[in-house]
Amino acid sequence: MKNIDSDKHLRGESLYLDDLPTLQGSLHAMVFASPTAHGLLQKLELEEARKSCGVWGILTARDIPGENQIGNIIPDEPLFAEKEIHYRGQPIALILAESREAARQARQKIKVEIEEFPAVTTAEEAFEKGMFITEPRTFTMGDVDRAFAKCAHVFEGKTFTNGQEHLYLETQAAYAIPAEGDQIKIISSTQGPSQVQKAAAQVLGLPMHKIEVEVIRLGGGFGGKEDQATPWAVMAALGAQLSRRPVKLVLSRSDDLLMTGKRHPYSARFKIGLDENLKILAYEARFLQNAGAAADLSPAVAERTLFHATNSYFVKNARLSVYSCRTHLPPNTAFRGFGGPQGMFVMEAAIALAAQKLKIEARHIQQANLLQEGDRFPYGQRAEQALARKSWETAYLHYKADDLCRKAEDFNKKHEYIKKGVAFMPICFGISFTNTPMNQARALVHVYRDGSVGISTGAVEMGQGVNTKMLQVAASCFSIQPERIKIETTNTTRVANTSPSAASATSDLNGKALLKACEQIKKRLLKTAAKELKTNPQKISLQNECVLIDKKDSGLRWEELVQTALLQRVSLSETAHYATPKIRFDKKREKGRPFSYHVYGTAIITAKVDGLRGTYQIESVQIAHDFGKSMNTAIDLGQVEGGLVQGLGWMCMEELAYDKNGRLLSNALSTYKIPDLFSVPERIEVVPLEDEGHEAAILKSKAVGEPPLMYGIGAYFAILNAMRAFQSDLEPFFNAPMTPEKVLTGLLKKQVKNKPLHVEKRQIG
Amino acid sequence: MKISLTVNGKQYAHEVEPRMSLTHYLREVLNLTGTHIGCDTSSCGACTVLLDGVAVKSCTILAVQADGCEVTTIEGLAQGSDLHPIQEAFREHHGLQCGFCTPGMVMTAVDILQNNPNPSEEEIRHGLEGNFCRCTGYHNIVKSIQHAAEKINA
Ligand code: FES
Ligand code: FES
Repeated sequence: MKNIDSDKHLRGESLYLDDLPTLQGSLHAMVFASPTAHGLLQKLELEEARKSCGVWGILTARDIPGENQIGNIIPDEPLFAEKEIHYRGQPIALILAESREAARQARQKIKVEIEEFPAVTTAEEAFEKGMFITEPRTFTMGDVDRAFAKCAHVFEGKTFTNGQEHLYLETQAAYAIPAEGDQIKIISSTQGPSQVQKAAAQVLGLPMHKIEVEVIRLGGGFGGKEDQATPWAVMAALGAQLSRRPVKLVLSRSDDLLMTGKRHPYSARFKIGLDENLKILAYEARFLQNAGAAADLSPAVAERTLFHATNSYFVKNARLSVYSCRTHLPPNTAFRGFGGPQGMFVMEAAIALAAQKLKIEARHIQQANLLQEGDRFPYGQRAEQALARKSWETAYLHYKADDLCRKAEDFNKKHEYIKKGVAFMPICFGISFTNTPMNQARALVHVYRDGSVGISTGAVEMGQGVNTKMLQVAASCFSIQPERIKIETTNTTRVANTSPSAASATSDLNGKALLKACEQIKKRLLKTAAKELKTNPQKISLQNECVLIDKKDSGLRWEELVQTALLQRVSLSETAHYATPKIRFDKKREKGRPFSYHVYGTAIITAKVDGLRGTYQIESVQIAHDFGKSMNTAIDLGQVEGGLVQGLGWMCMEELAYDKNGRLLSNALSTYKIPDLFSVPERIEVVPLEDEGHEAAILKSKAVGEPPLMYGIGAYFAILNAMRAFQSDLEPFFNAPMTPEKVLTGLLKKQVKNKPLHVEKRQIG
Repeated sequence: MKISLTVNGKQYAHEVEPRMSLTHYLREVLNLTGTHIGCDTSSCGACTVLLDGVAVKSCTILAVQADGCEVTTIEGLAQGSDLHPIQEAFREHHGLQCGFCTPGMVMTAVDILQNNPNPSEEEIRHGLEGNFCRCTGYHNIVKSIQHAAEKINA
């Protein structure tokens, strides 16, 4: 089934937040943010700006009737800075004006004096200085020290992975409209409407029922609108509360880049120990997470780093710890993968280093350690329906990996200045919010008397196709035409206390709740039909809009059935609740069964590197992916391709740069490069694993949002392997993204030492 | 300043600020919100429209520069219930996810196929160089345009 929004998208009729007709009397808001990363606010001069043409007013912390606090996990984030400044781009004031232009002009007239202090921008420095968001966390399994003592080979190293800008094409936006009395309706471009509602209630000093939050759709989210859509929505609401006029706040791209957090940069140290047979006996890693200036979702992201620190491998003895470090960057936040990719990168780096030192290919170590059924993860859960090996073997056979590697070797023998590298990237990603209470959802279904159906859930459509999947769930349950079904906006008055659309779990959670609601209505309808047709309900079924008795058409149609039910005063509405069963986690022991299931897969990545220029091309990415029983192959394949390319961007080209004063240097699309049409792989192939699917997945179709991003990690190692083909004793380095500059300097390092050669093979060639 | 122009076949005349961009004119004055703003600095291509038949990033054009011109936006492409073959192909081949880049992609594709009814994959990539998509990874977009070309030429 096609994405149900396709037609509207293609006609330009879909409404994103900024497309909503502006109500009469609307004000436009613009944020005035700190130009300094760290300091004390000494003076804020607003008078001149207030007098500026078309300005309604300028709001600061002082105007807040409730609490100046929007922190989600930890209350450490004011909506507006009062005295202390913690990052460049931190909101200080909100300008409300008759037009965006008037607001912009007023903003230029605001003067601020800040006593500036040195800024801390790296996790290492914050770690040295003891600046932390929370207590560190450590997962341990086995006896690590003893195991290391027994290892035949032990290697140590360090890594860095940079942050990543979400670059959702639609910037952050909100529109708040005052309603009767002191109520406010907020239309927000958020992945987490209930979080917006809660924060707005807190800041506005109102109970949550007075705040209605509605989401139509998002022009991309990727985690960047999970928690960080909140400030803008709350500001718009505050503006509407105080002015009693509708307030629209749409961040310009440059404000969005400046003021919002990104994927967390991580610095890590690792130690890996192997036995003679390449079995990983022990692994130790210490992660320093650059959380930025406030907690945001960082503690949860840090946790997931530990959950995925051993990727798809069974590591009997592991000690993994993470420190969430407070720096003077914008609070870093959720981004597809949510800390998992950062953890996996380090494991892959450790394997690559071991392979290099042992003069073998990394794939031999990878293959020898893949998870098997029943193996334990360091957090205590056992691998069930483990598909690590199956995905590896499927990729290996399907894409004829031996040939592939041989061909690359042949190519490398024949080419002096261009070399190919092949890397394997197995993935294993846990599905569920690791904060167990968040794994719940509700749905509301109305069947109208004309037979049409309206569905509300807590799911937010942001391009991932969740609305299409929800529609499929309902259509298959009722066995009616999709045209009869409408997916309503996500609205907190219809479905309350929702978890954000995140953790790849949106379709599972909301779909399961929806299915329950539909089944309840269906049960009542079948009973009605049985009564009408004078038979018993067990004999009745629905198919293609018809009521069947013993699988034969009874002549009764869907519309008539609905009519009959209504006349017989049978409820045609239902709400249902779903809570993921069998999951738990004990944070004291750091053990439990946090995930409902795991998603597996293996990618083979081939890269071609130009040793003279440092440039490279990802030639192909060939994937065997565990979709379960995909309920929508077009959407799921789209998620794999899109996720993969985002992962490649993070690993290869997207270079987030701050100077030492915390100033964002990559502050425009011209200086921050995301994958364009030329940087994507020439070929992406995906083969689904033959698989039963998982009971906990909606219609056994496994979650697909985040896992594919991690295939991108393989690109780093494919490039590194190509560099190894230039120089067999290359000192591997693990500093992502692997930009062409780094390729070149990496290759040059040795040449400088040994003087004049470009590349080692030149001597031979 | 006073401008008059044709947008999607309809005549308009308006008094506009000299610094108003064509994007803002289309979105705010004509309420044609299918033309999106992804960057406002001519980097993303989300705002692409046809100006006298040529694809332009409307955020870099002033409304006054479009005076006397013919503009086609995404809303003007389909003929009633019939989608343009390019729109049809994007639908068929899943060339979109969140849909935010889609109008710009489609309008650029119209221009590509106008100039070159039989583009190679490489030529399609070149033509779309100035358009970003953060969701799809581009493969389905390229595929959609290839299929559209086949259909138009058939
Ligand atoms: S909005 Fe015009 S190019 Fe991005
Ligand atoms: S479909 Fe979302 S940016 Fe292209």
